[in-house]
Amino acid sequence: MKTEILEKNTGLNKQASRYPRHRQLIMKGNYAAAEAAKLCRVGFVPAYPITPQTTIVERLSEMVSSGEMDAKYTNMDSEHSAFAAALGAALGGERVFTATAGQGLFYAHEVLHAIAHFRLPMVIANVGRPSIPWNIWSDQSDSLAQRDTGWVQFYGESSQEVLDTMIQSYLLAEQLNLPVMVVLDAFYQSHTSENVWVPDIDLVDEFLPAKVPGPMSIDIDNPKAFGGLMPPEHYNKLNYTYWRDAIQVEEKAEQIARDFATLFGREYHNVEAINIGPQTKLVLITVSSITSTARGVIKKYPDIGLLKIRLFKPFPKASVQEALSVLPKDAILAPVERNYMGDREGAIFQEMQRALYGMPFKMYDFYAGAGGKDVPPVTIEKIIHLARTNPKEVNWVDIS
Amino acid sequence: MLEIRGHARGGQGMVTAFEILAKIFSQLGDFQVQAFPAFGVERTGAPIQAFLRVAKKEILNRSNIYNPNLIVVFDESLLDMVPVFDGLKDQGAVLINTEKPRSHFADLGKTVYTIPATRISLDHGLGSKSLPIVNAAMIGAIGYLFDANLDILQQTIRKNVPAKPEANAKAAKVAFEIVVGDVFPNTYLHERMHAVGNNEEPVVFNFVESDDPAIGIEAPFWSMPLSKNKTGNWRVVTPKYVDRRPPCNHNCPAGTDVRQFVKLAGEKKYAEAYELLYEHNPFPGVCGRVCPHFCEQNCNRNEFDEGLNIGAIERFLGEQALNIPAERVPVTQKEKIAVVGAGPAGLTAALRLCEKGYAVTVFEALPHAGGMMRSGIPKFRLPDAVLDQEIQRIQDKGVEILLNKRVNIHELTDEYAAVITAVGSHVGTSLHLDNEEELSLDGITFLREFKLSGKDAGIKKGDRIAIIGGGNTAIDVARTTMRLGAEPTIYYRRTIKEMPAIAQEVEEALAEGVHIRFLTAPTAIGKNKKDQTELTLIDMELGEPDESGRRRPVPVAGTEKNLCFQKVIKAIGQRFDDFVFHGKEVEPKQGWLQWADDVPVFCAGDMAWGGTVTEAIGSGNKVAEEVHAFLQELEYHPEETLPDIVLPKDINFTYYLPIPKHRDRVKHPEDLYQNFEELSAGLREQDIVAESARCLHCGDCYSCGNCFNFCPDAAILIDDQGRLRIDYDYCKGCGICAEECPCSAIEFTLTEMAS
Repeated sequence: MKTEILEKNTGLNKQASRYPRHRQLIMKGNYAAAEAAKLCRVGFVPAYPITPQTTIVERLSEMVSSGEMDAKYTNMDSEHSAFAAALGAALGGERVFTATAGQGLFYAHEVLHAIAHFRLPMVIANVGRPSIPWNIWSDQSDSLAQRDTGWVQFYGESSQEVLDTMIQSYLLAEQLNLPVMVVLDAFYQSHTSENVWVPDIDLVDEFLPAKVPGPMSIDIDNPKAFGGLMPPEHYNKLNYTYWRDAIQVEEKAEQIARDFATLFGREYHNVEAINIGPQTKLVLITVSSITSTARGVIKKYPDIGLLKIRLFKPFPKASVQEALSVLPKDAILAPVERNYMGDREGAIFQEMQRALYGMPFKMYDFYAGAGGKDVPPVTIEKIIHLARTNPKEVNWVDIS
Repeated sequence: MLEIRGHARGGQGMVTAFEILAKIFSQLGDFQVQAFPAFGVERTGAPIQAFLRVAKKEILNRSNIYNPNLIVVFDESLLDMVPVFDGLKDQGAVLINTEKPRSHFADLGKTVYTIPATRISLDHGLGSKSLPIVNAAMIGAIGYLFDANLDILQQTIRKNVPAKPEANAKAAKVAFEIVVGDVFPNTYLHERMHAVGNNEEPVVFNFVESDDPAIGIEAPFWSMPLSKNKTGNWRVVTPKYVDRRPPCNHNCPAGTDVRQFVKLAGEKKYAEAYELLYEHNPFPGVCGRVCPHFCEQNCNRNEFDEGLNIGAIERFLGEQALNIPAERVPVTQKEKIAVVGAGPAGLTAALRLCEKGYAVTVFEALPHAGGMMRSGIPKFRLPDAVLDQEIQRIQDKGVEILLNKRVNIHELTDEYAAVITAVGSHVGTSLHLDNEEELSLDGITFLREFKLSGKDAGIKKGDRIAIIGGGNTAIDVARTTMRLGAEPTIYYRRTIKEMPAIAQEVEEALAEGVHIRFLTAPTAIGKNKKDQTELTLIDMELGEPDESGRRRPVPVAGTEKNLCFQKVIKAIGQRFDDFVFHGKEVEPKQGWLQWADDVPVFCAGDMAWGGTVTEAIGSGNKVAEEVHAFLQELEYHPEETLPDIVLPKDINFTYYLPIPKHRDRVKHPEDLYQNFEELSAGLREQDIVAESARCLHCGDCYSCGNCFNFCPDAAILIDDQGRLRIDYDYCKGCGICAEECPCSAIEFTLTEMAS
């Protein structure tokens, strides 16, 4: 047996041909985010550390200091300052990246509005963790609390998806002049080392053109002041143009994902429907890393489907409706919420409810996994069992 | 799918180990891998877990591992703390870092592998006894269980460890080779790793979820006494109150503890302050007036507003002697000691040896004791009464002073066990000009004769006087002749920057109306046709630096001019009177002189080095120590290493308020003629206290309480003596106290893990 295994011990993987112009590495989600920033030729990184995000900015500082990445890296004194610096650099026309988590994102909240309403394209990574009582573990209440700041939000399932989504996000951000937040789960993604296909930078260059100045960029030949008072009629008009562009996100993101698949070989959608068809009686609805575990569990159940929400904001209403249109009328929907937003239903349920207005399906909400509470396969099984037997409209799993 | 769960303590490197293992497994074939940690609290030593999944296909599970195939234990002490073996599969195995035999773990009923990873790690210099970094050894052992290629394993380790790649690779190799167990190869583990089929076991539910689980609100709280949660063991860097040397103490040639006497003065503990000062300086009244105050010049406060007026404090403390009687010291030593010269060096040395119990006799050539303090410093700077009182105190302690005794060493050899020569520098040096002897006076001689016997060299009101030189003697001569009604002009060959005289004295001389001409030197002296003394002076310019580091003055050709004076007084330097050595050629230097005769001969004061009273005092202190060590056959080691001095960069000036310096009350009389009254009246008591309060306390905790206020863990306490102390049971070593300490009295250095 030993000889047989030794023969396999020939070193680096033999799958190199699966994705041409890629290398396969073992990489944790945080490093994948940092790698993506490098591949996208980000020029400015204002940084402030916070668990569990810290290794993103640490990795970036390593890459910048070693010369592997040609960017300016600045240590800021808080997340509020880091986002303010990002705003400034984006006004200057630079391609910007920063990362934060939990309290850091809450602290930056005010600047998030400013970045979005200045119509500044940028991408940031947020590694989700909740606030007080002190907790560093996985939770989406921090980013979901920023739903209304005007940022586009993607939630990644794997390190690979974080890397790929960041590349797509820069294109989306710069095409629509909107900021994008890519959200990772704490530890289950941020600290999870796994197989990642890393594209060559020239491949990324083919997909993502060099940054050009946007409508709000500083132009030294045409000086203007930013941040002054905006009178009501102008503000109203500005919001109209914002809305006009925001409602294009769903279609644009789907188009960008298609182009990405053509070039890189990996397929993404705003939502992903797994085993959803006329035979499906129950559909679990998930975001982020819980999706992987749910995928594993539903393999045993031919009548259970899974809807993964990847683009969360603006909520992809049309994509959701289309994905569920094939379901029988009596199908049951069961969102799994790793968030508690101070209301009766969790954030996924709320958004799904408005997307499903007029559709016949029954939906029962399942809270599971807030504050990093592990959601193993057995918990998913429990949710399935409850949804099929005696569900309440809102259910909390694994609390007793 | 293969599932491995690890148990360790934060800091042992397990998270890195699992990341590296993921990379190793990915190279053992076409595997999907997934490794991640589960932390409890974020700190060194806390129990943590890490998980590793290896599969032939996509891993569809992103949750912790509850039913592992293999459990690896990095830290044996966890076995009693955490349910390490929970959920292990029936056929599963465990790998434990232990020195114990496998039989010890027989009760588990599982396949057990052991590896002495701690010992291997320590052998390879990885971590410390309190925190061994065992990850490389554990990787080696795990690698062997899966028949990993050792080259791949070592290469991956080298590439991914944060430090010591070779030592880590070697530790892994040793572990790879010596891991102990019964079952090799472990076919169960290999099968799990290579399994392609769906190994999910069906879950059967027959539970009832409670409708309304009875749970109370659980906000986080700590309900046990803090003594149950001593956080001091998290600390890897430890703050400590230290006593660092301040620049004032360091720069005092007499070795005075300036910082402490200033502090005591500020607390109105004058007697205590005086006693402390007297330990190093028996002439505080003199030094308070005439010392250039190296302490003050180097005071860190100069970087903030102005240095402390330490001179005034010293002078004030000198006056306290009147309230403190001097006690005679009994003679307890058999050796008698002779000191030649009753100046500051000789008298200080005599006092120190007297205090050690020696019978000391001081021989003084002049009719008054005091040396240069007596003969060279004018009364308007140093009244006789101050000097008399401080010399009297030395005599009261038991030092015998014989006046009018000009002696040489040979006269002393029979009676004395040691001789200290401290005759000072009372002989003026020459200009090397023709007619110099007849036509010029020697400054130091003029000062001495005027002070001791009132001889004014015939200087009258309105006389024009030329004084050659730029030192204190030149200034003192000028100011004395001013008071005789003359019009003195100092000619100095360099500029004010190079002038060796004490700056404050120069300032006062200028204020009194003394003229100073810089960059001028005499080239000839003679008589003109009217029989007046004529001095030929030439302009100088500064050239390249000489051996003293000052720029050498160079004559400017063609700039000579002749000026007439009633008197020309030279003050260009002094040397010692070699009568004491009885015609023998001796190069004076501090301490023991290489003297061939029976009696040991030592040397101190101006004749050896220095040039100020305080330097002479320091020299006297030192020579006394050396003589004592010599007579008692003790080792004598003068301090040589440069101590760690608190510099302005170490001071946190933010925490001090600007306070104007309290200046001496100086009164310049309207008419200087025949007025030899002391000019300065020092400071009043309330100003002494206020000036002492300006001290920054460099390198010495003054209980400001910043550490107490800033410590985020309330780990600073006030002890029963009112001192701030660090409670090491709770100090986590964040260093905020050291950062916020105003005066650099807290050291913050990497230490071994605190006990």
